[in-house]
Amino acid sequence: MMDRSISTSNRRHVLLFLLLLITILICMAVNIMLGSINIPASNLIQIIGRHDAVSTNGFIVWNIRIPRTIAAVTGGACLAVSGLLLQVFFRNPIVGPFILGISSGATLMVSVVMLTSISLNIVHLAPFLNTLSALAGAVGVMAIILVIASRTKNPVTLLIIGLMMGYLCHAITSVLVAFAEQEKIKGFVLWQLGSFSGFKWSEIKMLFSFGGMILAVSLGLGKPLNALLLGESYASSMGVNIRIQRLLILFCACALSSMVTAVAGPVAFIGLAVPHMARLGFATSDNRILLPGTILLGGIVTSLCDLVARLIFSPVELPISAVTALFGAPIVISLLTRQRVMA
Amino acid sequence: MNQKTGRRAIETKGLEVGYRGNGVVSNIDLVLPMGSFISLLGPNGAGKTTLLRSLARLLPPLKGVILVKERGLEGFPSHEFAKLLSIVLTDKVQPGLFSVFEFVALGRYPHTNFMGRLTESDRRVILESLSMVHAEDLATRRLETLSDGERQKVLIARALAQEPDIIILDEPTLHLDLKHSMEVMAILQELCRKRGITVVASLHDVGLAARLSDQVVLVKDGGILGCGPPEELLERRTITHLFDLVDADFDPDLGYLEMKGSRSRGRVFVAAGMASGAGLFRSLVRYGFFISTGVLHENDLDYHVALAIGACIAGCPPMEAIDEERIEKALRLVKQAPVFVDSGFKTGPLNRLNLELVKRALDMGCTVFSLRQAAELEKYVGRDATKITLCHGIPQLLDSMENMSL
Repeated sequence: MMDRSISTSNRRHVLLFLLLLITILICMAVNIMLGSINIPASNLIQIIGRHDAVSTNGFIVWNIRIPRTIAAVTGGACLAVSGLLLQVFFRNPIVGPFILGISSGATLMVSVVMLTSISLNIVHLAPFLNTLSALAGAVGVMAIILVIASRTKNPVTLLIIGLMMGYLCHAITSVLVAFAEQEKIKGFVLWQLGSFSGFKWSEIKMLFSFGGMILAVSLGLGKPLNALLLGESYASSMGVNIRIQRLLILFCACALSSMVTAVAGPVAFIGLAVPHMARLGFATSDNRILLPGTILLGGIVTSLCDLVARLIFSPVELPISAVTALFGAPIVISLLTRQRVMA
Repeated sequence: MNQKTGRRAIETKGLEVGYRGNGVVSNIDLVLPMGSFISLLGPNGAGKTTLLRSLARLLPPLKGVILVKERGLEGFPSHEFAKLLSIVLTDKVQPGLFSVFEFVALGRYPHTNFMGRLTESDRRVILESLSMVHAEDLATRRLETLSDGERQKVLIARALAQEPDIIILDEPTLHLDLKHSMEVMAILQELCRKRGITVVASLHDVGLAARLSDQVVLVKDGGILGCGPPEELLERRTITHLFDLVDADFDPDLGYLEMKGSRSRGRVFVAAGMASGAGLFRSLVRYGFFISTGVLHENDLDYHVALAIGACIAGCPPMEAIDEERIEKALRLVKQAPVFVDSGFKTGPLNRLNLELVKRALDMGCTVFSLRQAAELEKYVGRDATKITLCHGIPQLLDSMENMSL
């Protein structure tokens, strides 16, 4: 009876993974096909098969739709894994990737560039400047967090310091907003809500390769993460090197969210909600299953949200954070209340 | 009993434990033999948990050394140490969605590969760990559906899945009901006796510790009050001092504590003996009476209970006949008490004179109650028996005493 129940749960997991894989492929295809100009499947196959980037549709597919789709899927996967890592690390279900102030740091740097005159001399670099300054802000906060993490033992202290850093960055940002001109503020507010539009292939390559690398490292963290679910005392007693694992987990989580924030702005909600969806979907807290699960689910949810953001009020494009929260929050609430299980 | 006896599981020398220069317990010199059951006893806040955490390498010692299997703690790579020693703490464990099998499997951490893949032998050890705590049938249950008692067994199974030589438990029966406390203690004893695992546990129940432990460690006032076999260490005065007992007293022969009661309702003299008084004493103490009793042989159960509840006792060495002189002593106690209770003790050549006490109490004008049959009482006391209030059983006695508004 024992063995049978173990193998049925394994089979269930395999089936779910297959389902998620198929779903993510369909999502990507739909994302590429639908838009202000709909591209039928037959045409799409032609365009991809011939590497046709010259015709109108070909240009749209290769330079707009495919980069955007890859960005949404990869970005979603990164945010979801980042959220999962931090939820386990802090043993707290309401933690997301931006709890430690990563997005606030990025926002601060972007606000400096967008709202002040500092960037006037190099204004022709504007799109790259946003990305670079966001990256600088995110990595700056991440560095501070890692230094503090290597000195303090208490995760709660770290959590509070992260929150405080968020408030600090936020305070400075709001001062800048107070002094900024009206039309600059709108651009800044929109950036703050995140978007996967306007991706260049160079950014895609950066996101895909670095993100992929860190995702691969994260996949190897399943075993120590599971031990950490019991708390640091138990984990340590089972042979987990707490010091090293703490830093590794924090590094992966911060690096993943920093990267996404740099290229797409602070996309809310994905990192908080997707780990819960994965846990309830797979009916386990085993991180060796949840890690690949959240990668797929993160990609699916984000690409679907991006699709909705583009289509629902087309040609006006909604900010992605608005869609993720509007559609995601009720789903998570209903899943959790039905299951009556947290974390 | 087991071959490992004589080797040392844990040894400490000049150890001081605590947090960041804040010493909690110091001058700890312990030798805990392999395969033995060791209990830590002491009041709340004495530092038992701190000491256990230090022994488990979760807290660095402030001073001195800890040797585990005759090796310094620093000498172990973390995986190797995890295969040697595992823990069950009082920390709340809420890992989320796991079946019991999966949860116990987490304990295989130091044995599995990089991805934590379970081999056939891992699965066998997990099932065996579950069967060692009598929880095989829980394997497929969800962790969050378990009761506190089942949960504690599963936590022990997880610790066993590490296949340790030593298992450290912090208050393993905390929050458990009687059945589950006893079950957990029986499991721990079995682990120790059958599997030769060294069990180190902090306990609150002195009686249980005295019955189960090969060694007890008494922790108090920032130091170790004693470490040794319970037979040598657990004496009345040691326990009274260890816990600063005021309301109760420990009797090593009973192996338990007796409550002293409020003593707000005046004295009662109980003529007892032959184990007829133990229950009666406890009831009267519960109702707030202060008890004098006699004449009791010093090997009588009544004598031990009376001692532990702090009664005034007219005693007599074992196997000696109770003589006039001892009765005189008892009568001095009777004189101080307005109420006299005859417990209905069995009589023989050695304690026959105790019946004299009943008659003399009547002569002294005491209010006398008796739990004896009327016919029997008349035989011993004669016509005066009518002055005695007869009671069938202790509840009726307590009722009658209540009605007399003493």
